Amino acid sequence: MIVSKIRQCVHIAAISNRHNNLTVVEKLGRTTIFSPEGKHFEYAMEAISHAGTVLGVLAKDGVVLAAEKKVTGKLLDLSGAKEGGYGGSGEKIFLLNSNVIGGVAGLTADANSLINYARSAAQQHLLAYNEDIPVELLAQRLCDMKQSYTQYGGLRPFGASLLYAGYDQQYQFQLYHSDPSGNYSGWKATCIGANNGTAQSLLKQEYKDDIEVKAAISLVLKTMSKTMDSTTLGSEKLEFAVITLDPETKLPKAKIYRPDEIDELLQAEGLGKKEEDDAMKS
Amino acid sequence: MNSLANRFSTTGPINELRRAKSVLEDDEFTDSAWGSEAGFGSLAKGVPNFTVPSVPDPSAFLRLHTDDYADPSCRIKIQHGTTTLAFRFQGGVIVAVDSRATAGSYVASGTVKKVIEINPYLLGTMAGGAADCQYWETYLGIHCRLHELRNHERISVSAASKYLSNLVYSYKGMGLSMGTMICGWDKTGPAVFYVDSDGTRLKGDIFSVGSGSTFAYGVLDQGYRWDLTDEEAQELGRRSIYAAGHRDAFSGNTCNLYHVKEDGWKFIGNYDISKLHYDGPGETPGAGYGYDVRVERSAAIAVQA
Amino acid sequence: MSIMEYNGGSVIAMVGKDCVAIASDLRLGNQALGISSNFQKIFPVTDRIYLGLPGLATDVTTLREVFRFRVNMYTIKEEREIEPETFAHLVSSTLYERRFGPYFIEPVMAGLSKVATGGFKPFIAATDLIGCLNFAKDFVVAGTASSKLYGAAEGLWEPDLEPEQLFETISQTMLNAVDRDAYSGWGVVVHVIEKDKITTRTLKGRMD
Repeated sequence: MIVSKIRQCVHIAAISNRHNNLTVVEKLGRTTIFSPEGKHFEYAMEAISHAGTVLGVLAKDGVVLAAEKKVTGKLLDLSGAKEGGYGGSGEKIFLLNSNVIGGVAGLTADANSLINYARSAAQQHLLAYNEDIPVELLAQRLCDMKQSYTQYGGLRPFGASLLYAGYDQQYQFQLYHSDPSGNYSGWKATCIGANNGTAQSLLKQEYKDDIEVKAAISLVLKTMSKTMDSTTLGSEKLEFAVITLDPETKLPKAKIYRPDEIDELLQAEGLGKKEEDDAMKS
Repeated sequence: MNSLANRFSTTGPINELRRAKSVLEDDEFTDSAWGSEAGFGSLAKGVPNFTVPSVPDPSAFLRLHTDDYADPSCRIKIQHGTTTLAFRFQGGVIVAVDSRATAGSYVASGTVKKVIEINPYLLGTMAGGAADCQYWETYLGIHCRLHELRNHERISVSAASKYLSNLVYSYKGMGLSMGTMICGWDKTGPAVFYVDSDGTRLKGDIFSVGSGSTFAYGVLDQGYRWDLTDEEAQELGRRSIYAAGHRDAFSGNTCNLYHVKEDGWKFIGNYDISKLHYDGPGETPGAGYGYDVRVERSAAIAVQA
Repeated sequence: MSIMEYNGGSVIAMVGKDCVAIASDLRLGNQALGISSNFQKIFPVTDRIYLGLPGLATDVTTLREVFRFRVNMYTIKEEREIEPETFAHLVSSTLYERRFGPYFIEPVMAGLSKVATGGFKPFIAATDLIGCLNFAKDFVVAGTASSKLYGAAEGLWEPDLEPEQLFETISQTMLNAVDRDAYSGWGVVVHVIEKDKITTRTLKGRMD
């Protein structure tokens, strides 16, 4: 009886994942029992697998993050991004703290909530210890919170995965990935979102252990161009960020590229748009 | 010796005054007509006689209006906070004091004279209530002179300090505030006596009194020897007052330095404590007592070497 | 013994022509005992806003860290630096949050706020320990020597002082006022904030 009920609910839920207001309890019954198929996360993972790709590569002197924007269009007002302080359009890549950049894939609203939480957590650590939060610790804080949404009643998990690219004195540059279950792991190169399998295998082939940031940037852009939906890369579809160490102050320097800077970079890598493409677009 | 005669005789100046007073008992004449208090006219009756407010407990009344601890917003602020020190050594007695007077946290003055020159061979220091110290030590000076006249020899420091201490003891509990050191050179050599308004009287080699005394003791105790030379002893006194003036919020401004020798006291000098910090006592700049100044000096010397 | 007088210290901020200056003493004491002659009470909040925190020393450190937290969150979310007026209100609301168990600090702020035309306008403000704002046009003072600072500033300040003149004025005000206060002094630090540079100078004051 129960099994058939679950099958029915699965059917309904699978059709309209994003738009129903039913709590997980109403959909699946109690959340405090283990479901053998791990259905709670499957739906979350489903949502994420449709989201824009986010790619991260760890180099020995920095970490590179790139993301494909899904929310694009001529009518979008991106004037803030052009002159804004931290670059990015506020869709995929965010500054979490002066030493950590986050890339998100999944439900945007859930992601924003997580980003806000991450920023508060980083500041709370600063207040308590007067030091920048270590990257792994930030990932842990978020994962502890995400996990509690899977164990305590009435709530659904966050439908977003994150990549954390950061630096701390203890372990220097690091790249972490966390998913809705509250699981996290450290990576040399990884990918989340759409086409992540393709990207992952590409990275596995091309990645070298002592890669430098410049080479990592090229690798990231090359991989993005192969996995993204559009034929050419451009600043309207791409978000890009790098975290390095300032040579004089020895402090981490997080840079989220502005649209014009992304275009420049693409030109330098030879992946930029040709003029004919521009003319054809309109 | 005169007290019997004073008490029982029916003639003599005191009795004449007494009779004159009783005749003119009406309020046309106040006590001040018989000589102002400041001129010790009140001595006519033997011991100073002070008017007190006609309340049941005059000392409690005084405490109500002057006690800082009980009520920080009391109307009359007695100026506390000071550092004074005196020590005796082979060359006499060194007396060093600061010159700051504070009322609460307000620095009321930086030019207070805290050494009272009782007479050319006796010095008294001032700590606690300035008025109390000034008045009673000047009063002590009178009695020291009277002693000289009557006995054809200088009063000993011991006797002088005992006179003072007995005097203030008779006012014990009435709110006098005084912590003084009577310093001089008599037949027994250099002598320092500590006398305070509780009635304590102590003979000793080294004393420091006031809110900054602990700081002064630190320097004084580590530098003290009986056979210091005159210059070393003066330097020690100065350096100790500097230490207290630097660390204690209620001490500072300038240091007044005196040296009591066999033939009497000598005023050595007035030293600005802040100048002592940066430049030291001499004329050469940069020879200061301050920590940062000394560290820089050592660093400069190390670089040269 | 008042809690506001326990550690001692004073701060003043003054307005000049296209510049502001903020100065504080450097003393940290335990009532009468002086402990540090190097205790910082003025902190940069942004490139153009400086915050002075006179009062109980533990709250100086704590408030400095609390404001760092809140301004960091503001900056990272707004993606721009906070303006002085906004920061002043942030200070006020942070203090009022503790209305019934306040921080024992009377903050003083000095900065340059952006004007629509692209220039900068001098800005100073102060609050009491529970957040009542005071936007003055000439100078603001706080701390154990505040009454003495009022007197000295009132006598020496005049409008439209150039940065160098403002430096002299605020220095003399500070030095002479703290010499009349037992709980302030042991050195003075002065920051002069102009639109493209900040000059910080430590003055040689009375060390008693």
